[in-house]
Amino acid sequence: MASRRCSSRSPRLLALAALDGRELLASRAWWLLLAILGPLTGQAFITAIRSYAEMSGSRGGPAALAQGLSPLDGIVVPTLGAYDLAVTFLFPFVAIRLVSAERESGASKLLAQTPAGLASRLAAKAAVLLLGWLLAWIPAFLALLLWKLYGGHLCGPETANVFLGHVLHAFLAAGVAVAAASVCRGSASAAIVTLGFTVGTWALDFVAAGRGGLLARLAEFTPAAALRTFEHGELRLAVVAVLLLAGLAGFTFAGLWLDPYRSAPSRVIRSAVLLLLTVGAAIPAASWRSGWDLAEDRRSSFPQADEAALRKIEKPVRVTVYLSPEDPKLIDLQINVLAKLRRVLPRFEVAYAAQSRTGLFEDPESHYGEVWYQVGTRKDMLRSTIEPVVLEKLYELAGVAKPPEASDPGYPGYPLAAEPRGAALIFYIACPLLAALAYWRSSCRKSA
Amino acid sequence: MASPLLTVANLSKTYGPRRVLDSVGFGVRPGEVLGLIGPNGAGKTTLFECLAGVLPADTGEVRGASGSPLAPARRSTEMFYVPDGIAPWPDQTVSRVLLFFRDFWGLSRDRVSAAVDSLKLRDLLGSAVGSLSKGERKRFLIALGLLAPQPLLMLDEPFDGLDLRQTREATGILREEAARGRTLFLSIHQLTDAGRACDRFVLLAGGRVVGEGTLPEIRDRAGLPEGGIEEVFLALT
Repeated sequence: MASRRCSSRSPRLLALAALDGRELLASRAWWLLLAILGPLTGQAFITAIRSYAEMSGSRGGPAALAQGLSPLDGIVVPTLGAYDLAVTFLFPFVAIRLVSAERESGASKLLAQTPAGLASRLAAKAAVLLLGWLLAWIPAFLALLLWKLYGGHLCGPETANVFLGHVLHAFLAAGVAVAAASVCRGSASAAIVTLGFTVGTWALDFVAAGRGGLLARLAEFTPAAALRTFEHGELRLAVVAVLLLAGLAGFTFAGLWLDPYRSAPSRVIRSAVLLLLTVGAAIPAASWRSGWDLAEDRRSSFPQADEAALRKIEKPVRVTVYLSPEDPKLIDLQINVLAKLRRVLPRFEVAYAAQSRTGLFEDPESHYGEVWYQVGTRKDMLRSTIEPVVLEKLYELAGVAKPPEASDPGYPGYPLAAEPRGAALIFYIACPLLAALAYWRSSCRKSA
Repeated sequence: MASPLLTVANLSKTYGPRRVLDSVGFGVRPGEVLGLIGPNGAGKTTLFECLAGVLPADTGEVRGASGSPLAPARRSTEMFYVPDGIAPWPDQTVSRVLLFFRDFWGLSRDRVSAAVDSLKLRDLLGSAVGSLSKGERKRFLIALGLLAPQPLLMLDEPFDGLDLRQTREATGILREEAARGRTLFLSIHQLTDAGRACDRFVLLAGGRVVGEGTLPEIRDRAGLPEGGIEEVFLALT
């Protein structure tokens, strides 16, 4: 009998993507995600607008300094924070369902016998998940549109950067969820594994807080820490690369475990090789220093003249911090000094030497509160965490001339005392109603 | 005699300490309807899954019509296996899944329509696959098998869940498919159905092939020249 095989690949890929798209439409988890995101985003947005208005002096009280009022911190990050919750607690179920349902129903056995390779099948799923995730962003875009309509200011690059952070976060979450679904027999077990991964990264964040070394380096790339980088206005190539690598590794891992031709030992060996390759690629990627400060207020950068002067320091710079993780001075130091130095200095290392978590019961002889700066072989101590003081000390140790006073234009700040008019109606009523209506339409079309 | 479409040699599979398939070997001839019969637990489904490549075998070789070995990843070019008891894409309607098969394989509308009509699926097109009864689901699965383009179609228990009339109709449909030149390999639990539907048989018991051939050939092997398929089966297994 002559083979009736179809020679074209793209119609097959389209057919697969269309099928996965229909599976997404049949997924109650996805509809629930859509229905919940409206009120969740709305609540975050309305709260953010009111707080921002208060800080802008809407109640007749003293307004915060205008320069301190940034829409990135005041509106964009809190509003889009709803998506952090969604990607942690809801989106993985959508991804798990897309793999597990196929496996549990036996459909995967039929698909395994088609010329569509696992790579194509997983690519179709990834594309559909991305599309599904983007559709879930409608409430967020509505919120930003409303903010503009209220007369608010949005800086394109910093807003797009936060959006990119959430998309990469979702890609990683999908990779982890799909990998868990490929190993576990049922979707409930896969959900537990996925949540276990998330909780594990939170634990790593907690344990690594205020510590140096490998643990702290690792904790820079947990989903929560990575997202914070974007929310801070930074676009770090290392973070983008590690998130992409980890997400891609999740999908590749799923490909290994969903491949029916492979025996269990072969899967384990290949998974170990994949892990080694991923770690091997992630280590150099994690040390990339390239990045951009996309925040309009250049919060992750020193003044340009200082950055030029710091780049002249070729000797290794080592900072030893005697501050405990819960000490607010450490947070100040990290945000105002260490994070900025890390972006500029080519050879930079931080060691955390405090013994306790709170610093309340440190031994008086233990140097608590000191921060030691070492450039090459010269070192000195400071207790101040103020940026100009630290920079002056570094110039002195490095023998670099202090640049003239900064002439960078200052951040003007964007105070706005707006009322969230119409927001409650849109997010609490219209969005869930539209999601319910779309679900009903989709169900009707399915049975038509 | 035509050269085999598929030759299976020395196929073995173990689950832990249990040897489910033990050096299984037989041939599948082009255009025939070959029946795989055996008692419960004989290893019929495992054999189908190993052949189709959806389950890795421990040892053994499967050769195609050209005589060269067919690696598991390449088996999908030659054969399509429809498992028993599955409800693929349960939330999708029958028509959606059939449309997927049409688009995926690049089939004509008429071909899908013919399969729908022959298996009496038209009234079920709007029903979700997960809501079908056992018999309805079986007809739907046979339709998927008929639409798949591979030259060898393997159906696991194609008549399970069908009533007498439906079994006869399905047998007729499968015989017509074979008459059009397609090779069918059916795992059948009911011996009377097997006798009606198949040209040749492979008898599997305890993971081993205990007989292969046409009914007269296996009768001779069993030493029961006048025996029916049931007597032959009981004698050999």
